[in-house]
Amino acid sequence: MKPKIGIYGLTGCAGDQLNILNCEDELLKLFDIFEIKSFVMASRAADESVELDVAFVEGSVSTAKDLEDLLAIRKKSKILVAIGHCAIYGGVQAMFMEKEEWIERYQKVYGKQDAVTLTAPLEPKPLSAYVKVDAALPGCPIEKEPFLKLAGMLIHGVVPKNPDYPVCAECRWKENECLLLKGEICLGPLTNSGCGAICPSHNTGCIGCWGPIAEENYAAEIKLLIDKGYDLDAVIKRFSIFGGTERAEKLRKFLEKEGRK
Amino acid sequence: MRVLKLKKGDFVLFLKSLKRFGELWGPVKKGDSYVYARAEPENFDLKAIRTIIPAKKFFLPKKSTILKFKNGEWREHQEVVNRVIFGLHPCEIHALNIYHKFYSRLYPDTYYLKNREANLIIGLSCIPDDKCFCANTRTSVVDEGFDLFLTDLGDKFLVWIGSPKGETAIRHVGHLFETVTAEDIEDYITWRKERDEAFQLKIPLEGMPEIVSFSYESSIWDVMGEACLSCGTCTMVCPTCTCFDIQDEYDIKAEEMNRERLWYSCVYREYSMVAGGHNFREARSERLKLWYTHKLVGFMSKYGSPACVGCGRCIVSCPVEINILTVVKALKKEKTGAFWERMEVKNA
Amino acid sequence: MLEAKKINKNPYMPEKARIVRKYDLTEDVRFFQIRIINPDLVLPLTSSYKPGQFMMLSIPNVGEAPFSITSTPSRPGVFEFCIRKVGKLTTKLFELKENSVVWLRGPFGNGFPVEQMVGKDLLFVAGGLGVAPLRSLLLYALDNRELFGKIFYLHGARTPKDMLFREEFFRLKERDDFECYLSVDSDPLGVWPFDIGVVTDLFKYVKVNAANTAAVVCGPPVMYKFVVNKFLELGVPDNQIFMTLERKMKCGMGKCGQCVVGHKYVCVDGPVFTLWDVKNIRGLI
Repeated sequence: MKPKIGIYGLTGCAGDQLNILNCEDELLKLFDIFEIKSFVMASRAADESVELDVAFVEGSVSTAKDLEDLLAIRKKSKILVAIGHCAIYGGVQAMFMEKEEWIERYQKVYGKQDAVTLTAPLEPKPLSAYVKVDAALPGCPIEKEPFLKLAGMLIHGVVPKNPDYPVCAECRWKENECLLLKGEICLGPLTNSGCGAICPSHNTGCIGCWGPIAEENYAAEIKLLIDKGYDLDAVIKRFSIFGGTERAEKLRKFLEKEGRK
Repeated sequence: MRVLKLKKGDFVLFLKSLKRFGELWGPVKKGDSYVYARAEPENFDLKAIRTIIPAKKFFLPKKSTILKFKNGEWREHQEVVNRVIFGLHPCEIHALNIYHKFYSRLYPDTYYLKNREANLIIGLSCIPDDKCFCANTRTSVVDEGFDLFLTDLGDKFLVWIGSPKGETAIRHVGHLFETVTAEDIEDYITWRKERDEAFQLKIPLEGMPEIVSFSYESSIWDVMGEACLSCGTCTMVCPTCTCFDIQDEYDIKAEEMNRERLWYSCVYREYSMVAGGHNFREARSERLKLWYTHKLVGFMSKYGSPACVGCGRCIVSCPVEINILTVVKALKKEKTGAFWERMEVKNA
Repeated sequence: MLEAKKINKNPYMPEKARIVRKYDLTEDVRFFQIRIINPDLVLPLTSSYKPGQFMMLSIPNVGEAPFSITSTPSRPGVFEFCIRKVGKLTTKLFELKENSVVWLRGPFGNGFPVEQMVGKDLLFVAGGLGVAPLRSLLLYALDNRELFGKIFYLHGARTPKDMLFREEFFRLKERDDFECYLSVDSDPLGVWPFDIGVVTDLFKYVKVNAANTAAVVCGPPVMYKFVVNKFLELGVPDNQIFMTLERKMKCGMGKCGQCVVGHKYVCVDGPVFTLWDVKNIRGLI
């Protein structure tokens, strides 16, 4: 029997789902291997009544509706895979790291709290803030090759783990010159690999869009960049864009320890 | 060993004649650095010192499929490419000799051995820069592990013939080679003196096995561990690093499974982590200690020489300046001026 | 010129095998009997390994990992393993039914120096999953009983239901050519007929000629220190105290480096080490 899967999007740009659709050569194979029960981006014919073997979920939980959907998906799925930066780390929308309460920030932007009426807003958070996540596929957006590999593991009943090494590994494999050594801000050492070190290969420092690796030595890199003459605020800004909720917390603590802000 | 002379003007012609042995690879410029790349010999840079990634990439590829699994059976997989690799300096050849000892002993690695057979290795002399210290590691001269070795004497090369394959390589174009004269020998002696006096950096490794052992509990490792970014660059660029990981990947389209071997690094968190999550080297300092203990102590006791050939790659590559130079200095209680030391001072 | 090496069989190529029998030893530990399919290899492989060696077991798409052999070469035909469900590979392995295909490479590792143990008294201390390699050596010694002096086997578990190979040891206890003592840390149901307490309490039964004893311990890391101290109290020399260690391994052949400690590759220089090794190679335990 083919594994039943669903592909869902919460708050995000839908780029991860789009990249699944972009697996043009392999798409038919995927339809052949999996029984796709729900993929609203590809087809309106969705069957939400059945139990799923695997649910792929993109986007952060940013509204009450997101949360309601996520809980429902979790309930009916054996394996839940967070796909893309928003789902795993909270996305760019979760980068905020001032001490202010979220509601104050929200009101600064949207005025009174009930300005958005479609659904109640929540502070953007990754899926793992609310439900158990069985596997994660990082990327912003996710890349075709790692997605297909993950799918390949899932059809063999294996819940895969991502390689726990940074962009630098792939960057060295590509025989690039190290941009940090050249004095550029490059988040390679702190960032999940899988992208093939695409930015450093084009002489652009890594912006960290695949999210922080488990053991990121952010403190040492911040100090290194300051040693190279960068302004702390500029460094913190770069670090927080794709840092997600967890790194925001770490950076807050770091700044406190360093006696700043 | 037989030595012949080749005129500089015949160099390109000679290398082109070697294409029958396989693809031509040699050092070419990339940014401010060098890489071994497939190119025409006109583009090879005879002044290249060290490439970003050493020649080990030809013998243990960064990532390669070693086995394939389809329809319930495994089959061996290897893409063997015949190559002529030009421009390996003595340190690099010494490193390959370490590779050879390592991969051909005990359970000989068939992939390595096939790659070794498929490559013609042409060494090239060099003048050290301020990061080279192969005089200290006794790897500045090489007498085995190459097919041909060229010493660049300005308008001519002296060519050492290191193997029957090397002999075959020059036989076809024998007319390009001349007998070495007394004058050539004098020129070599002059060159050699200049080369030997050109070393600016000295990293005496004598006594390191004992010093590293005595420093096992030293807090210096913790200081370095604080600064280490675990980027793995040191291990990727080190010509004697041999570690790898093996992963299974399923190819949906081909409906087959590939068992992949890829370069791996002992500074990565999961290097010593077993199923269930226990990590035998949780701290970065423990992993750095393993790296330097392995290079300077462990290898020494197994093979009689350190697993460092003085190429200077770690010195030019580590973003936080944890490298053979600063580590040896620090263990000898000298100031290093490295970033990791400055960071510690600031932290304190 | 470097020595040219003959290119032999690819040591990364696994051998096809079948799970011929499996059953649960405890809630999360299962016993597997695995038979190599190629009939020409069954006897050579299963009769020539050393107790204490391990095999690399793999399931395509999932991966490969090292497992101690728990059977003895004195009873050839199959390889036996006792495996705890902890990771990706073991989870998948636990889903496999009997007659499923798995893949084996090996045996690898140094194994116990059985030839050095001949003529000596043997003292085993097993805890938890540590019984896996020790059972191999114990059964080997029992099958070649005349080669060894006195044999003492001490085995501890948390509770009666956690004791691996419980029934087998109950039967072995009845043999009168060796001494087998079993203990549990606690007995919540009050059913345990033997000692209750930590495994080191069982040393009170041990009567060996310490200078001529080979002492072997395998168990959870916390156990080593206490057991080794007991061995030393008895007077067993450092180089006659053996322990077998666990590390991450990807090749089993001293290449991938992931098991390295100091200058030792646990996969080829170990997994069996003496107390002397442990004292002199920092990081071993």
